[in-house]
Amino acid sequence: MISAAGIGLRSPHLAEIEIDRPAAGFLEIHAENYLASSPALAAVERLRADYAFSVHAVGLSLGSCDGLDEEHLARVAALVKRLEPALVSDHLSWSTFGGRYFNDLLPLPYSEEALAVVVDNVQRLQDALGRRVAVENPSCYLGFAQSTLSEPAFLSELARRSGCALLLDVNNIAVTAHNLRLEARDWLSLPGEAIVQYHLAGHAVNDADGEPILIDDHGSRVKDGVWALFGDVVRRFGPRPTLIEWDTDLPALDVLLDEAARADRITSTAGGLHAARAA
Amino acid sequence: MTTTRIAIASALAAALVLPAAAQAQGNMEKCYGVAKAGKNDCQTAHSSCAGTSKKDQQADAWISVPKGVCEKLVGGKLSTG
Amino acid sequence: MPLALPDLQAAFAAHLAGADRPDLAAGVLGDAIPSAARLRVYRHHVQESLASALAATFPTVQAVVGSDFFRALARAFVAENLPRQPVLAEYGEDFPAFVAGYEPARGLPYLADVARLDWALNAAFHASTDERLAAADLAALPADRLLSLRLVLASGTALVSSAHPLDRIWAASQPGAPEGTVDLDAAGAHLLVLRRPDDAAFVVLSPPEARFVDGIALGKTLEEAAAWVDGEFDLTAGFARLLNLGAFAALQ
Repeated sequence: MISAAGIGLRSPHLAEIEIDRPAAGFLEIHAENYLASSPALAAVERLRADYAFSVHAVGLSLGSCDGLDEEHLARVAALVKRLEPALVSDHLSWSTFGGRYFNDLLPLPYSEEALAVVVDNVQRLQDALGRRVAVENPSCYLGFAQSTLSEPAFLSELARRSGCALLLDVNNIAVTAHNLRLEARDWLSLPGEAIVQYHLAGHAVNDADGEPILIDDHGSRVKDGVWALFGDVVRRFGPRPTLIEWDTDLPALDVLLDEAARADRITSTAGGLHAARAA
Repeated sequence: MTTTRIAIASALAAALVLPAAAQAQGNMEKCYGVAKAGKNDCQTAHSSCAGTSKKDQQADAWISVPKGVCEKLVGGKLSTG
Repeated sequence: MPLALPDLQAAFAAHLAGADRPDLAAGVLGDAIPSAARLRVYRHHVQESLASALAATFPTVQAVVGSDFFRALARAFVAENLPRQPVLAEYGEDFPAFVAGYEPARGLPYLADVARLDWALNAAFHASTDERLAAADLAALPADRLLSLRLVLASGTALVSSAHPLDRIWAASQPGAPEGTVDLDAAGAHLLVLRRPDDAAFVVLSPPEARFVDGIALGKTLEEAAAWVDGEFDLTAGFARLLNLGAFAALQ
């Protein structure tokens, strides 16, 4: 099944995956953890024979007004050349300013000014890699008064102008929609033909001055509401390779594989409905 | 060559032809290994423990007393002070 | 008038570093969750996630002082030293120097050396395993060539010298270390950190071996480095040991 779900490869699971080679649609790694030579990179190179890989960058800072860090870009490009992954992606966000890296996916105002910056940076990235990349919708904890576009409209326009693909993180939709009082179904207006991968993860519910705020901590199983939204997404856009992400309080590998199997079951049911409707 | 040069040259050359037994011993010498689990991995996840409390968790807010293995490290001029 | 993107990112960056930026907050939508609380989610994440990254890179420092004290130390460092690039495994080079000057740790004079060792091990773990120099590579060289050779330390190889018994402090700080105390009045230690095929490691060098390695690291020829060592030094055994450990890079 082409859409068999994959899992994020996290270093505590590396040895077990190397020994057991569990069935998984693909493995995802964060580019920034494999830029230096290390025993972990050697293990990934060995695993390439058995798994398709997805390289998910977290630090390219596609929304930086001062452009991409060429040194970092060159290192990511070298890794991509070395691993020849099925997909390369990063986020609709920024994380670098004035030579400082903030280790966070920071929000952008959705304006024409920001759109021009992101289009330029994505094009620079695609030129450097010699391939199309996917840009992911982020989890947002705030919105800017100056935004003139919705996030889906911004992403649609970004894909149209830069030719990039889109990575739809279903949990991020739920988190952003809740925190910014938006409707999750607004994201169903995205151009489906540009979407090349789905992400799923758990989130936490925290307290912000007495009000619940959802935090994208990748620290639990996918929430029921997000599974339901995933069903809507697959019915709307069809099956895509789907990733289970887990970073905080990483559980046993079997838990990740169990979540991936659940994603496959939904893909199979909802994907069938999508195909029937398209026919 | 001076005597010192000759001495150094022969000592270095001798190291290159040291019997295999002596070298094998070298392989078994006491090594303190560290197989890191990569906990300094970059992530896309947001830390939920940080919360949104109004008080920044800055270092100057409070300074705790070291409470770790240092309690097993005894002696020394400054450490008891 | 909304902030232009460069001004907005500059203001956001200042906010993350701890500054109060009403101009930024004014452009953030707030409701039951006020804009200030929304902005704090990001500031706290930056501080906490970077402190966690330091804890992973400096596990021995954390074991020595405990997690509460380490957290305070790490936050103080992060506040003044944000990363300059996105690879967290490469963040913290300046941490040992910061520890050395950190007033609350003044009673632990060995702590900065522990940080230097953690950093060297972390750097070795992420160093390349490219070709090491073997004894056989030098066997055919004439004596004068051998004497004038300037060797280069292999990727990840680093000498960490301390006036404190750093090897014993490190061993006592490992998970599952046996009970018992470490005498801080014991002699100092010279540790050679190495990248091995599957991990990073260190060995204890004798003072003359350490001086020999130091000479080579400073760019001296083998003859100069050997002559630089004062006191009793079994050059044959020492050089053979270092070659056997893979301490030197293959000849270019």
